Amino acid sequence: MFSKILIANRGEIAVRIIRACKEMGVSSVAVFSEADKDSLHVSLADESVCIGPAPAKDSYLNMSAIISAAVATGAQAIHPGYGLLSENAGFAELCEKCKIVFIGPSADLIRKMGDKDIARKTMQSVGVPVVPGCDMITDPESAGREADRIGFPLLVKARAGGGGRGIRMVNAAQELENAVAAASTEAQNAFGDGAVYMEKYLSPVKHIEMQVLCDKYGAVVCLGERECSVQRKRQKMIEESPSPAVGEKTRQKMMDAATKAAKAVGYTNAGTVEFLLDTDGNFYFMEMNTRLQVEHPITEMVTGIDLVKWQIRIASGVPLSFTQEEVKIDGCAIECRINAENPNANFRPSCGKISFLHVPGGPWVRFDTALYQDYYVPPFYDSLIGKLIVHAKTREEAIRKMQAALCELVIEGVEHNAELQMDILNDKEFKSGDYYTNLIEKRG
Amino acid sequence: MLTKELFRRPKNELENYNKHFKAVLPDVPNELCVLCPVCKQTLFTGSLQENANVCPKCGHHFRINARQRIDMMTDEGTFVEFYGNILSKNPIQFPNYDEKLKQAQLASAEKEAVVCGTAKISGFDCALFVMDPYFMMGSMGTVVGEKITRIFEYATEHSMPVVGFTVSGGARMQEGILSLMQMAKTSGAVKLHSDAYNLYLAVLTDPTTGGVTASFAMEADIILAEPNALIGFAGPRVIEQTMRQKLPAGFQRSEFLLEKGFIDAIVNRKIQKATIARILSLHTKGESE
Repeated sequence: MFSKILIANRGEIAVRIIRACKEMGVSSVAVFSEADKDSLHVSLADESVCIGPAPAKDSYLNMSAIISAAVATGAQAIHPGYGLLSENAGFAELCEKCKIVFIGPSADLIRKMGDKDIARKTMQSVGVPVVPGCDMITDPESAGREADRIGFPLLVKARAGGGGRGIRMVNAAQELENAVAAASTEAQNAFGDGAVYMEKYLSPVKHIEMQVLCDKYGAVVCLGERECSVQRKRQKMIEESPSPAVGEKTRQKMMDAATKAAKAVGYTNAGTVEFLLDTDGNFYFMEMNTRLQVEHPITEMVTGIDLVKWQIRIASGVPLSFTQEEVKIDGCAIECRINAENPNANFRPSCGKISFLHVPGGPWVRFDTALYQDYYVPPFYDSLIGKLIVHAKTREEAIRKMQAALCELVIEGVEHNAELQMDILNDKEFKSGDYYTNLIEKRG
Repeated sequence: MLTKELFRRPKNELENYNKHFKAVLPDVPNELCVLCPVCKQTLFTGSLQENANVCPKCGHHFRINARQRIDMMTDEGTFVEFYGNILSKNPIQFPNYDEKLKQAQLASAEKEAVVCGTAKISGFDCALFVMDPYFMMGSMGTVVGEKITRIFEYATEHSMPVVGFTVSGGARMQEGILSLMQMAKTSGAVKLHSDAYNLYLAVLTDPTTGGVTASFAMEADIILAEPNALIGFAGPRVIEQTMRQKLPAGFQRSEFLLEKGFIDAIVNRKIQKATIARILSLHTKGESE
């Protein structure tokens, strides 16, 4: 086991990882930007190193500063959290070269799964269904032919895509040329790779993802699904596990597909296989996330398995101590993301000093956050300030518990979306479980 | 305000502690990092190379060797080297010159301080010479002069444009007057090339000084330079000591020379190939009627 780990992230996820380290007796090193010097993760860690000015590109994305901090403190491994450098193959490779263990899969694997074209083809080759689509677009004529074959509406997607960028919807043939050009330009600017392909636009669909854990000795377990269909502009808002729409048969099929996918690429550490599930119960591979997910706590709640601790154990070479048969999904967990934004002003981000904070409590209520009284929420980063997670025997009970917990959550000083979350939880469609990724759009 | 002392440390032993386990400590291999001499930023060699050896932070252009430059500027697989086997001798029996040449060959993996040949740049044919800073700082002896003269003669014969990248400390003192004579010889070849209505484009890189500046480097029809390159005849220290005057900031740097009209444009390395290709396209002879 590593005796010291550096956490190359900030906010609630840095706090979450430091907590795991404390339980495991591992020393933790926090890195922080000048804007984050008073952050919770800095005080909570055993050591802390300032890695640069406020903008993320100069600090949390500054690879040389982070590697220097690891060398200076003698950290044997780096946990990248989610976002920032977590899916950066170049960073993982750099860690390998500097004899630092990157807590995640290998650089090669990150690169492979980051290329949507390779990822699709790999999945197809092992019999995992993918969304009907085509290979990379080479010229307008073949694009037109392929589009007719796929059928409208369709999506033009960037090979290097991520975060919803480089995607365009096409409703009719005459829109195709412009959409291809726009998606390609956007992808070229965002990722330095303008290659695009097409995929059938499926609607209505549910976003269902499967959590896998793979050790270094070929053992793969699937920890069930998370449903993340409550999304606004492709950003998830509420997640739940298990999904109310996934029956035992479908679950088994999807878990098999996810396990097969992970085995096919020789995956190690924690990963998530994302699928789209249509109303007829057909599911299609979308992409594989080679990192810890924001919504990982709901899987932890229903399985009782600490994903972050297992990430660290796997990276240090510990074999999985449980088998697929021993994984039991118990009850239902829901997570609401609490963002510092104003839903009534077009979700304008908010920042400022937390003048009052009350964190909900009670049985099976968990609030993952880096907030504390008098903390100043800086304007430079992601608007996620907390994740409220509840666990109960049934879905209905979990929704009730979440309503109660949201009532108790008081954050004064910044605007946030807790009220909106209560409205969504109270939505008829959400309550019925029969809701799709267009739920927020439909609500207007 | 939160402080470090606020939180207690848990009395947890390290999980799965194994006293026989030998921890590997992080270690950055020397060749992995370079320090930008201008902005002092630590850079990774991999990302620096991807960025054409230009500092992504401050835009400092790192020195690169002739082969790297040829790879960067010409179409893949089109470069054909000429005169690769001409070797320097010690014509005036200068002490230790033979040893110095051997060391330079080892340091640069080149036989001399200039690499000549023909290549395509974005599809346009041209004759090429590229000097190498790692061979005695690209100094010009008889072989450098001869190779450059020959490439101009070849280009004249075949009506080809010449594209040259200069980097040089000047004439090679170990070859005495013979190296100074190369200034006249190369200039003659440039003139004949020019008289035959051919284009000569030079890119001056850091540093281009001495006899090279005073001959073929400054004789091009179009002179481009890399940002902040030192370009001059005598170096700034020599001038300061001779004139006993402090020189203005940026003296002899490409920006200063552009302002004074000595060069035509400063072109960042990352867009050099495209710029050169554009110039070549404008100067390509049309089909005769």
